[in-house]
Amino acid sequence: MPVPSPLTLPFWEGTRAHKLLLQRCRKCGAFRWTPQYLCTGCHAEAYDWTETSGRGVIYAFTRVQRPASPAFKAPYVVAVVRLEEGPLMLTNIVGSAPDALAIGAPVEVRFEKASEDITLYLFQPVAPVKP
Amino acid sequence: MTQQREVAIVGVCATRQQRRSGRSALSLITEATEGALADAGLAMRDVDGYVAFTFPGGNGRQGSFDGNIAYQFGQPFGLVAQMSGAMAVLMAAAAIRQGTASVVVIPAGGSQSVQAGETADYTRPAFEFTEWTGSITPAQFALIAQRHMHEYGSTVEQFARIAAEIHNHGHVNPEAVMFGKGPWTLEQVLAARMIAEPFTQPMCSLVNDGASCIVVTSAERARDCRHPPVWVLGGAMEYMGNSYYEAPSLALMDSRPRMIAGFQRAGIRHDDTDIVMCYDHFAHAPIMQMETLGFCEPGEGGDYALEVMGLDGRHPVCPDGGNLSYSHNMIPYNFKQIEIVRQFRNDVPDLCPGAAQGVHTYDRAICRKVRDPKLAVACGPQTEGRHSFVLLAKD
Repeated sequence: MPVPSPLTLPFWEGTRAHKLLLQRCRKCGAFRWTPQYLCTGCHAEAYDWTETSGRGVIYAFTRVQRPASPAFKAPYVVAVVRLEEGPLMLTNIVGSAPDALAIGAPVEVRFEKASEDITLYLFQPVAPVKP
Repeated sequence: MTQQREVAIVGVCATRQQRRSGRSALSLITEATEGALADAGLAMRDVDGYVAFTFPGGNGRQGSFDGNIAYQFGQPFGLVAQMSGAMAVLMAAAAIRQGTASVVVIPAGGSQSVQAGETADYTRPAFEFTEWTGSITPAQFALIAQRHMHEYGSTVEQFARIAAEIHNHGHVNPEAVMFGKGPWTLEQVLAARMIAEPFTQPMCSLVNDGASCIVVTSAERARDCRHPPVWVLGGAMEYMGNSYYEAPSLALMDSRPRMIAGFQRAGIRHDDTDIVMCYDHFAHAPIMQMETLGFCEPGEGGDYALEVMGLDGRHPVCPDGGNLSYSHNMIPYNFKQIEIVRQFRNDVPDLCPGAAQGVHTYDRAICRKVRDPKLAVACGPQTEGRHSFVLLAKD
């Protein structure tokens, strides 16, 4: 289970409220992921946690047949999503027949409660394909 | 600046590489360090530099680096740094050229204790934006391979052919974990157990125990060592993001200019090199490394790697069997240098009847000796958003 730090806590408060917040640089406006102290573009410190569209496209995906541990039920899909706002985000893709996925397919965030403190940010195809 | 023979690898050692050794990482790494120093004709009291990712605790887990290395060894050091593989060799070489250290050991290795149903610890670090996705090591790099196929046209068949070739080198290496388990065909690799698409088991690094150590010193000290020096001519390294931490991407392709500049600084043309010890954590990797090192253009790596990588090819890749077939003992990065040193020395165990005397038949069903190598490339670990290589030469 993810353990938030002072830097990342606002992100997890966002997912609990079903919002996908990213840091947005106050100086140049760039969004970034994973959470960082400085803007990766202009190195400014000031930022705001900003709600994003929750939409993106699949940058890459893989179907995992051998699970990380018994806690994971294979097969499951690990993917990198290119968010509309720019950054790449590692996630799982659910809600579709695995054969229906493709690089470039549009996806949107789907929040799933994992514990009292942690709500996870999975993604699903925008037009879910029935298996 | 052209190649200057100022720094050399003078000692190497690899312990037995095996699954479930029952030994601690500490005992393995100690054995490898003492062995490498004995190979060099040096002693621990000669050492004043130590470069390693970790100083192993009792269970070999990758933890925080122990800054008290010098105290542990009871003598002052001029260099203590947390690096491994080709990057460690380059860092040691820089310190030696500068005069801030003289004899540097680079130990590496580990011992797994894997619970049933789980992958090895280091494949699933508890990072808050990765662990929950179940993105173990094969998944991390499968994502990169998938994107490379999409953007640059590499194919699963190319990955499988690369894996089969490297496994066939390990098949005739008595020291390899996968010794005797081949020979391998493309079809067998494709039909094996799927781990994370497109990687089947033989396309993935092994998981086993073992350790190694390299000793690096100046040309002056090398004169008194037991073996002819293997010169460290230069190389390059680049950092950009971290696997397991940042989302996997093709960012490492951007390292190409820096890698090419490393060859130029050393005054070495790609065509002048022979062995290329690609860092084969997964079977797609030699393709990306041939592209990013500058041997070929991005998009050409699949055809190029397959054309050159055989034992009689222009650039034999991992004649020892690499990570896929020889060993991945958690920190196997030294083997990319060690195999070059041993091929240079004609210390190449295989199935040739005269191998122990350095007599090889070059019948590839039993022999993995490369014909007369002189100038080789050793790649550093591609994990954690790093790329690096070092150029090694014999006189």
